[in-house]
Amino acid sequence: MTDPLVTVDGLEKYYYENDTLLDRLTGAEPEAVRAVDGVSFDVREGETLGVVGESGCGKSTLAETLMRLREPTGGSVTFDGDPVFELAGDDMDAFRRRAQVMFQDPFSSLDPRMTAGEIITEPLAIHGVGTGAERRERAETLLEEVGLSAEQIDRYPHEFSGGQRQRIGFARALAIDPEFIVLDEPVSALDVSVQAQVLNLLADMQAERDLTYLFIAHDLSVVRHISDRVAVMYLGEIVEIGPTEEIFENPQHPYTKALLESVPRADTDERDRTVETIRGDVPSPRNPPSGCSFRTRCPELIQPPWLDLPQAAFREIGEFRTRIENGDIDVDLRWEGVGDPDREDRAAFVDSLYEEAFDTGLPAEEEETVREAIRALADGDRETAAATLRERYRSPCEAIDPALPAGDHPSACLLNEQPEDVETAREEWEADHDAPKAGAASE
Amino acid sequence: MTDLLRVRDLSTRFFTEEGQINAVENVSFTVEAGSVLGVVGESGSGKSVTGLSLIDLVESPGKITSGEIWYNNADLAERVEGDQPEAVDGDFVDLRRLSAAERRSLRGSAFSMIFQDPMSSFNPSITVGEQIAEAAEVQRRASANPRSTRSRTQGYGLGKMLLDGVLPDRSYTSEESWDRAVELLERVGIPDPAERAEEYPHQFSGGMLQRAMIAQALAGDPDLLVADEPTTALDVTIQAQILDLLADLQETMEMSVVLITHNLGVIARVADRVSVMYAGEVVERGTLRDVFDDPVHPYTKGLLGSVPDIDQPGERLEPIPGNVPDLVDANMPDRCYFADRCPKAMTDCLTRPPEYEVSDGHRARCVLAEREYSEADAVPDERLAGPTDDGAGPNDGSRAPDESTAPDAEVSDD
Repeated sequence: MTDPLVTVDGLEKYYYENDTLLDRLTGAEPEAVRAVDGVSFDVREGETLGVVGESGCGKSTLAETLMRLREPTGGSVTFDGDPVFELAGDDMDAFRRRAQVMFQDPFSSLDPRMTAGEIITEPLAIHGVGTGAERRERAETLLEEVGLSAEQIDRYPHEFSGGQRQRIGFARALAIDPEFIVLDEPVSALDVSVQAQVLNLLADMQAERDLTYLFIAHDLSVVRHISDRVAVMYLGEIVEIGPTEEIFENPQHPYTKALLESVPRADTDERDRTVETIRGDVPSPRNPPSGCSFRTRCPELIQPPWLDLPQAAFREIGEFRTRIENGDIDVDLRWEGVGDPDREDRAAFVDSLYEEAFDTGLPAEEEETVREAIRALADGDRETAAATLRERYRSPCEAIDPALPAGDHPSACLLNEQPEDVETAREEWEADHDAPKAGAASE
Repeated sequence: MTDLLRVRDLSTRFFTEEGQINAVENVSFTVEAGSVLGVVGESGSGKSVTGLSLIDLVESPGKITSGEIWYNNADLAERVEGDQPEAVDGDFVDLRRLSAAERRSLRGSAFSMIFQDPMSSFNPSITVGEQIAEAAEVQRRASANPRSTRSRTQGYGLGKMLLDGVLPDRSYTSEESWDRAVELLERVGIPDPAERAEEYPHQFSGGMLQRAMIAQALAGDPDLLVADEPTTALDVTIQAQILDLLADLQETMEMSVVLITHNLGVIARVADRVSVMYAGEVVERGTLRDVFDDPVHPYTKGLLGSVPDIDQPGERLEPIPGNVPDLVDANMPDRCYFADRCPKAMTDCLTRPPEYEVSDGHRARCVLAEREYSEADAVPDERLAGPTDDGAGPNDGSRAPDESTAPDAEVSDD
């Protein structure tokens, strides 16, 4: 289990908006949604690589693109030495025979007008394997192998339950005797007891037929159960990859740590376990944050060299800054809120917003900087307010994009080991930015 | 702890073309004041219908056919006692015996509910603030005029429609309830609530919208919040936030919560007591510790054994064989509903088991609560394997079936 069967290198899949003919004529800039944004990894022969992440992180798009079910925007995929995106004709057919997919939804992934037998034999028919009778016999064997019965071959999908339909979907993927199967959330639509049955089936078949799996899921317990190695995705990028045991016992990236901590355990001690929940939502892939994509929610954000605040205080300032930069705070509404629509008592405005935004006591110097920003905001000058905060509280994480280094268990975080060019960029950034004078807006 | 709600032998049936479906069958449980009851089960186990039955939201062709729901409310008891003495027992009132108008007036102010999918629970063309203010306004008007049990929709007639056509901007809500809406949004942890209240549902993320739905449910300051799979549509990091919020609200507002979910981890995180449902019945109930550490019913054990443990991954999972029965009355066997899938089915299981008391407050609908399993009494396989085997009816695939051991089983196909 050492040779890579699949090598993914810098894979990118962007979807473009504002890209119609009309948009081009009117000169609108196409807007990219970066579903998969430069992903590289290997899948070794005979292993299960789990890919885990929250909804919208691009894990399904990754699967579909690497199978060439979608055209990539950039990057390459090599399957057993062959460049997948350049294959054509017979070579492409051969790739399609050797790599198969099983989908998430047991209801929409099977044609309701085909019987189980027709569904399972379809790949064989497409690739012209065997005679009709042979294919049918093969389908019967497969049904038995996936835990259904051969007599069910002439039934239609609606006569089967969700778990049974997933078994049919799996039998279809196995029909052509592939080496590599992409399993896209194969158990997430199932109830726990059935989920366990299907997971056992997947494991048995892998052992029996030496299959290689790429297993995509959002359920971390399931991923841990089935995978040999795990890749964690966030906003179209892999933030950490490594052996399952390492990832779960010794997570490196703050996102992986938060993700693992968030999973509620089915255990009576669960109530007493303290969970540091991460704040906020996943940012939109239309407009990903600069630098590290996790920085907007990161509990371990790096402070600039001139600051040494408690992490909670630094985060509160950061969140406040984001609200100002995004224009979430409606100044008119706030003035009405403090009962002063004529805008005379600026101090009252500042006090009210400051108290609302900050629970932790800030050191005097920082409080003054923040208040100065709010004063600018009160005058309706959002630019200056944002600049004041940006000058003093900018983090290296928003300037430097961390990379995923090579190695057995790398993580894309500036706190951990980074490739040389990233380290250099960071040193340069720190040298370029001297500590601004506290409480002074320099722009 | 005092009880807020005592549910006795509640049954809800659906009268469909395929026949009578026993969605909830003789369910009994108690909700203590200021505590969280977790209701757990697989899809099709009747847990959602139980929640809907509690607050009387079962729609045709469904109907609550029997049972009592005793609600602890001294004021209500006093008010009702004159007209319907039989519906009152001390401070408790049997909601099933009240008039429909009276029950409706309790919705929102006494009981409230949040649903699984926040995206489809909000009206996309009305601002979030307006929708929460509306809930607050209903309560405000009701408390200003307690005699009136008219709901908002009843106020709509032809005259109103014409008036709205001429004056489309007339708002139902008052400034007072708008302020209340903003206050509620702040309470559920939405930053810049005044600004966000003016936004439409599509401008909110899933987690934010779930918070907004909770805010809406809190508008009437309810005694009981029924949360039906409140975190199922959310990512784990957001789920953790929402569970924290629910626990915090429950504590500070001294509210009781009935939390319906299929996720055992969620139950372990917030529930004080647990009811495990299977095929419309509560098969085991007790404190969290009773049910998780000392389960009696083989179904409870099976459910716990099916979940992969994130901290200690085992080599192999131990799933429950077979599938959840389809609950059609005509197909339900006259024996323990779980017997067909049960690894420990005995001859005793061929009659319907009552609820046995395992220890104080811990009950299980299984003979194993009374006696040990013995091989000598094991049921021969041919006596079992009825309708629960294989090929469950159409369109119910998300429930559990599998492991088709009976190739010749009749398929309930139409």
